[in-house]
Amino acid sequence: MTGLGSHFKIILTLSWRNLWRNHRRTAIMLGAISVGVWAMIFMTSLMRGMVDDMLNQGIRNLPGHIQIQHPDFLDDPSVVNSIGEPGGELLTALTQNGARSWANRIRVPAVIASERESRGINLIGIEPAAEADISGLPAQISAGRFLQSNQDKGVIIGAKLAERLETRLGKRVVIMSQDPDNNIAERGFRIVGIYQAELAAQEEFNVFAARGTLQKLLKIEGLVSQIVLVDHDYRDVESLYRRVEAVTPDGLEVKPWYEIDTYLAVMFNMMDGFVLVWVIIIFLALSFGLVNTLVMAIFERVREIGLIQALGMRPGLILYQILLESLLLLLIGLALGNLLALVTIKPLESGLDLSAVAEGMAMMGVGSVIYPSLTLYDVVLANLVVVLLGILTSILPAWRASQLDPVRALNTH
Amino acid sequence: MATTKPQQNAGIHFYALLLLGLLAVSAPTWATEVETPEPRELIRAAMEHWRGVTSYSEMTMTIHRSDWERSFSMQAWTEGDKLSLVRVTEPKRDAGNGTLVKDQSMWTFSPKINRILKVPSSMMNQSWMGSDFSNKDISKSTDIIDQYEHRLLKSENLGDHVVYTIESIPHEEAAVVWGKEIVSIRDDFVMLRQEFWDQDDILIKEMEATEIAIMDDRTIASRMRMQKLETPGEWTEMVVDDIDFDVKMADNLFTLSNLRNPRQ
Repeated sequence: MTGLGSHFKIILTLSWRNLWRNHRRTAIMLGAISVGVWAMIFMTSLMRGMVDDMLNQGIRNLPGHIQIQHPDFLDDPSVVNSIGEPGGELLTALTQNGARSWANRIRVPAVIASERESRGINLIGIEPAAEADISGLPAQISAGRFLQSNQDKGVIIGAKLAERLETRLGKRVVIMSQDPDNNIAERGFRIVGIYQAELAAQEEFNVFAARGTLQKLLKIEGLVSQIVLVDHDYRDVESLYRRVEAVTPDGLEVKPWYEIDTYLAVMFNMMDGFVLVWVIIIFLALSFGLVNTLVMAIFERVREIGLIQALGMRPGLILYQILLESLLLLLIGLALGNLLALVTIKPLESGLDLSAVAEGMAMMGVGSVIYPSLTLYDVVLANLVVVLLGILTSILPAWRASQLDPVRALNTH
Repeated sequence: MATTKPQQNAGIHFYALLLLGLLAVSAPTWATEVETPEPRELIRAAMEHWRGVTSYSEMTMTIHRSDWERSFSMQAWTEGDKLSLVRVTEPKRDAGNGTLVKDQSMWTFSPKINRILKVPSSMMNQSWMGSDFSNKDISKSTDIIDQYEHRLLKSENLGDHVVYTIESIPHEEAAVVWGKEIVSIRDDFVMLRQEFWDQDDILIKEMEATEIAIMDDRTIASRMRMQKLETPGEWTEMVVDDIDFDVKMADNLFTLSNLRNPRQ
């Protein structure tokens, strides 16, 4: 038996010509496939962009990829659950072959008061020099200045909080909290900077002061709440986590971001599955059109198929020819769809501004500008799904065509 | 935060409320000896004047709002400027509510829930018993001496007395939100008036002595009113109905168990 290969050229020619016999129908189907593929890739890249943004922001607010803290701190973020500033082996590990950057942080619940209002806040003691690498805070200062040293006596509050307190840059506020003995710790601070975060909730809640100043205020000299480590990519913190955990003294807890914020972790893990489901849903809609096109093409050619069968073409080759026809259709559609996606995503990579719906986006923890992120994985997935499932759905009509009885087929009108 | 009461501050504290405001004196020596007193010393002398002095008083507090008004009768014990205990006697449904202040710590007791609560820092700015005084006003002590820069604005004669008007500006790091306070003290230590200005030089609230009386041989402001300028129809008034000085205090008076189970 001569293999299918030897007939390939003839079959290919037949398929190709058959494809363009009803060129309008083929064009419509090509349009459907390319729009479908475009939707798969484009929407996926938007979702990826949004989730990336959400994860980045979320992790930045944690605020690190990995955190070291007192075992009870996450459950009860009070000043009692402080830890010593890193020393010894841990310090060596952190500074020499550790993270991209790391910093100590103090974090306590506090109350801020102006002449007219007072509000509950999250008071964060930072090390200004290290902070630039860890959070985007220095870049978010919209008025005034950033903190200058660990002993800086100023405080930085959010624009929204300033509005609520009816205060502004340059004025004094009083911050009250408690020291480890439950005594009231309070002090006047001058507002030296106002920051604007992407999310209003943070602006209202997070207040930043220098680490040393807060240690003195809270009577916890030498103690901090957390040690924060930031690595290059949040997707890949496992090895750093292992290294740091190995040298962290007993009694301290080391946690990567995905254990601290399980919501973010679930988002992250779900994303791949989500993309697959999305691609398959679009394909399902597409497959009806595809099957219909093939069924119609076959239906129109029943006599013809009967004739070539009568002339000696084996059923296998008919199946082969129709599948090839379907594959050509899919490949051209995919090529167009991929091109379309590329052309639409590239110009948007500098950011898709959705400030009109910023409030709704903020509720999801996403900023108002989306940066679509095109990943090879998603493109390959979409193409593979379309080709494989496309061929699969074509098998049934093709198989039925190949099983036609030549005598009956020839007598069909 | 649910309740966001404007903050009061170190200037008036419970002790001030009860006594300092009602500052009394039999023989104000410094006033005659020093012609233009150092303002800081003036305030210190006013504070010193009460060190070690004990008192028992019965007072009425009236909280006035535009659409309602209510009064409490209270008993209060003080010892110096660090210890005080207040207990509500009338109306019946509030009777037994108490507040104990020791140094800068503050506890409240409510018989309805039979619990003593240490007032945490987060609640210090909230209103004390619904009045125009905050918990902080009640518990703060003598920080006004050291946390402010004092300046004598003027001294004027008012009847038989000299009235000193002192401007007090809080230090940079003082836990005080005000831009400045202006205090008028008579040479017999009666505080006539205390004004609280914000950092833009707008008067926010003031406390004023509206009646001055001699009780138990000391001159005190027997009626004082706290008022916020932004809400003209709202004020809180404290009236001293009766006061005894230098009373003997039981050792267990300023204790948590006494706050819960009155033994006087």
